[in-house]
Amino acid sequence: MIAKILLLPILIPILSGIVVFFIPKQLRRVKEALALLATFAVLILAMISFKQVSSYSFNWLGRGMDLSLRLYNFSSFMLLANAGFAFLIILYSVTFMKGKDLLNQFYAYFLLTIGFANGAFLADNLLLLLFFWEGLLGLLFGMIAIGNKGAFKSATKAFIIIGITDLCLMLGIVLTGQLAGTLTISKINLPLNNLANLAFILMMTGAIAKTGAMPFHTWIPDAALDAPLPFMSLVPAAMDKLLGIYLLTRIALDLFQFTPLSGLSTLLMVIGSLTIILAVMMALIQKDYKRLLSYHAVSQAGYMILGIGTALPVGIIGGVFHMINNALYKSCLFLTGGAVEKQAGTANLEKLGGLGRKMPLTFICFSITALAISGVWPFNGFFSKELVYDAALERGLIFYILAVLGSFFTAASFLKLGHAAFLGKLNPANEKTKEVHFTMLIPMIVIASLCIIFGVFNWIPINHLIQPILGTARLEGHNYSGFPTNIVLVMITFIVLILAVVNHLLGVRLKGSALHAADHIRYAPGISQIYALAERRFFDPYEWGLKLVNLISKISWALDRGIDWIYNNLSVRLSYGLSYQLRRAHTGNYSVYLSWSLLGLAAVLVLLVIL
Amino acid sequence: MNYNSIVLGIIFIPVIGSLVLPVIGRASSRLRNILSFIFIFSSFLLSLKLVPLVLSGRTILILKPFALGLNFTLYADSLAVFMACVSSLISAIIVTYSFGYISHYENQNEYYSMVTLFLGAMMGIVFSANLILLYIFWEITAITSWRLIGFFRDKPYVLKADKAFLVTVFGALVMLTGFLMIYQQAGSFDLAVIQGKFRIGGISNLAVLLILVGIFSKSATLPFHTWLPDAGVAPSPVTALLHAAVLVKIGVYVFARIFIVNITPDILWNTIVPLIAGLSAIISAGAALRETDLKRLIAFSTISQIGFIFFGLAIGNEFAVLGSLLYILMHGIAKAGLFLCAGIIEQNTKTKDITKLGGLIQTMPFTAIAFLFCSFSVMGIPPFGGFFSKYMVFSGALATGKLWIVLIFLIGAFMTIIYLFRVFNLVFLGQQNISAKETSPIMVASVTLLGILSLAGGILISYPYQFAQIAASQMLKGL
Repeated sequence: MIAKILLLPILIPILSGIVVFFIPKQLRRVKEALALLATFAVLILAMISFKQVSSYSFNWLGRGMDLSLRLYNFSSFMLLANAGFAFLIILYSVTFMKGKDLLNQFYAYFLLTIGFANGAFLADNLLLLLFFWEGLLGLLFGMIAIGNKGAFKSATKAFIIIGITDLCLMLGIVLTGQLAGTLTISKINLPLNNLANLAFILMMTGAIAKTGAMPFHTWIPDAALDAPLPFMSLVPAAMDKLLGIYLLTRIALDLFQFTPLSGLSTLLMVIGSLTIILAVMMALIQKDYKRLLSYHAVSQAGYMILGIGTALPVGIIGGVFHMINNALYKSCLFLTGGAVEKQAGTANLEKLGGLGRKMPLTFICFSITALAISGVWPFNGFFSKELVYDAALERGLIFYILAVLGSFFTAASFLKLGHAAFLGKLNPANEKTKEVHFTMLIPMIVIASLCIIFGVFNWIPINHLIQPILGTARLEGHNYSGFPTNIVLVMITFIVLILAVVNHLLGVRLKGSALHAADHIRYAPGISQIYALAERRFFDPYEWGLKLVNLISKISWALDRGIDWIYNNLSVRLSYGLSYQLRRAHTGNYSVYLSWSLLGLAAVLVLLVIL
Repeated sequence: MNYNSIVLGIIFIPVIGSLVLPVIGRASSRLRNILSFIFIFSSFLLSLKLVPLVLSGRTILILKPFALGLNFTLYADSLAVFMACVSSLISAIIVTYSFGYISHYENQNEYYSMVTLFLGAMMGIVFSANLILLYIFWEITAITSWRLIGFFRDKPYVLKADKAFLVTVFGALVMLTGFLMIYQQAGSFDLAVIQGKFRIGGISNLAVLLILVGIFSKSATLPFHTWLPDAGVAPSPVTALLHAAVLVKIGVYVFARIFIVNITPDILWNTIVPLIAGLSAIISAGAALRETDLKRLIAFSTISQIGFIFFGLAIGNEFAVLGSLLYILMHGIAKAGLFLCAGIIEQNTKTKDITKLGGLIQTMPFTAIAFLFCSFSVMGIPPFGGFFSKYMVFSGALATGKLWIVLIFLIGAFMTIIYLFRVFNLVFLGQQNISAKETSPIMVASVTLLGILSLAGGILISYPYQFAQIAASQMLKGL
């Protein structure tokens, strides 16, 4: 296989993205065709190169800053997944975005995003990885900003949060390169000691911020309301998870010698489990279809981070498996959200209801993916969650409990969502609502079917995609596919799911409405105060960060004005004062001048004698 | 043409040309404008002609001895040619922009004469290899920038121009004292002689301190920086020329020329200078967050970014120096773009107060995109040019193990992202308060070009990189 072919998955989308940008408005069909063609070409390329091993290196700047790309099992898997989502979501967008403004920008950013992400997956050089990774930043801003009117505020928030964590990643990469003496990723394997710990934390920050883990998540729910929906479905739901978890896995498996003994492992598990539980609690009380989903996009990232954080093979496999599973069901869920919004005209749950009869196929896709995300057998989410549970339990009971509790709330909130949107009484305004166009249905159906396939035949992804990433040495002969071995854990999962159903029915009976089925938790004593604080953005580190930055800038401003005062006032007064004194010495009196002159002459004489 | 006359041409075509311009301006303003551009652009073309020579490792020395060590010594190495190319290119774009901006003001003869003289003097500084000669050109730039800042003759504007002049000249005099101390020890003002004596160290700390005062006052670094935001009263092309692209880079360049190539100061300064630069970077970034005047805000940003450049140079290893050289290039292009965008906004909306602006992207799309591209470059977002320079400065700094200083600059980099986005949002997005058209075409074309150059600087990084790399390695070898 010709190594240069590796450049194509990067260049095709980028170049076609640039071309699309300049295609005039009237030629909408051409634009869509080009976008479809480009993503399809990338998909074909990804299929051809799947499981191939190849590398391409080109001397770019010297000093180890090479343009080197590497295709091997992990990156080819990521490439394929990315290309698949890209193609399906473009297909969906063709109908969804019809009649919307700024299509040029939408398709251009979309394609560029695909190209840069492929670059990040293929890069075998830390600088190149950073180049592509950070390059996504401007596109992220653009993608959100072209949403509705006030979207630029959410876009700015996303840009600042990701921008700052990307700078952390940059410092981490510099430090790693320094410690390892090379920038070639495949040659780096550092033991975790003092400085390497710092490098790990910095790089990890960049990686988990991308996945949307707490406390770097707060832009996602905001963007959910403002950004174009296909963006949400592609980026925060699928691609960001692929990128973030890909990098985190590379950090944990390849770049550093990461073991369960390391304190960093505990740190990751704490971040992961807190992300699961806190984000899902927020999801539970949302009243907007898309915003509810976006909190789940955060919460699910917690499972992946928890799994990888355990540093156990079973956990890492669970984490990576959960990544691909989540990318599948979460992007499909967003797509169903888009379908509902497009047909019913709103994503506000208070105005929805009974759509299951009007949009049966969308409802079926929703049901499959909702069951999958809740971790119901035999869907894919069940298997990856069980692997993560297994690993979490081995590392500490508390992590397991938090993870299972997360499952309970996940199921509860999807029961609420499904019930409120698709079942119950139909809103009279939606009497004429129809099923969506088939170009929007196909992506949903394909992805939902994959959720079943990855569950029932879970040996396909586990044996072929995920276990090779760890390599035979780490696996020690284990095979993690098939039904979970720990039956007790499976039993507990089932009990928790049943409890979630009971809880939902109880909630509906108490409040008489599906939308308010979680209100008995929402307004429980103790919890309601916390929710109140959360709704006032008390827990949003972005707000705190801005306050801190404001404080710094106030101090700086005071210092700066202080220095300026010295120039504008103090120095002026000093020189006026000095010249005033000197002027007073010039009295015009002849004898005074003569005595000055004599004194001066004497001083010169003294100096001459001494020297 | 032989190389000696090329070097002389780079300096004296604009210097002598500047004296002719006012005379021509009486006859035809169009001819004067074109000639001014030709003088400056010829400096750029001639500098480009030197590139192959210096890249092959050769240098040019012109030496005409005079009494008292006041030799006329010019020296062209890769650092000098790099700097000459960067400043003359940016100046040429800025002059083109002026055709539109200045066209309806008085005193245009003076303006074009001063801008051209300024560029000539800048070239003089770049190629000077004698401290006194350097000082003379240095003061010429001070005088020209005094006239340029005071282009509008209102009383407060003139006062701000005086302030800039007084601060920089005060610094220059202090620096001159430092030069005299060096003369006493080395017996010559010629950098070649000084290099022979002080390359291995042994310079007195007092002399270093005195020279640094001059450098910091010219490059607007804490605590000598406050004249720079005040000078925002100047016409926009002037602010772009002086504050972004050229004037403030003089100090940086002389720092590199004296303290990296020729004199090795005490190891102590490797900590002090980054520390001052770091404080300067953070404090001015903080001030930029509160400022509401568009041009003053960008000026604060310049102070902050100059801190990054000093940081890389003062760290002194090859990679950091290389990063700083690229920083000079990328920041010059991007910051000139920002100032010129500010000029377009100011002329069309008649205000510089960012809280009164908004939504301009609807009516000024090109300006908005150029502003965004230049901002991305200053923030250091790939694929824009600033990414590489920032990465290299950080990378070089970490190699010396000064982690804590790197963290200070990391905060500075965070704040850069925040304040630039604040401006972009306030000016270009949201509700449109003042509606305005996008004129004139030549001004819009200039900023678009700078925006594109910011992007091209990142995508085609390998070309400037190769050049800067040779310059950096020659600097550290002390050629």
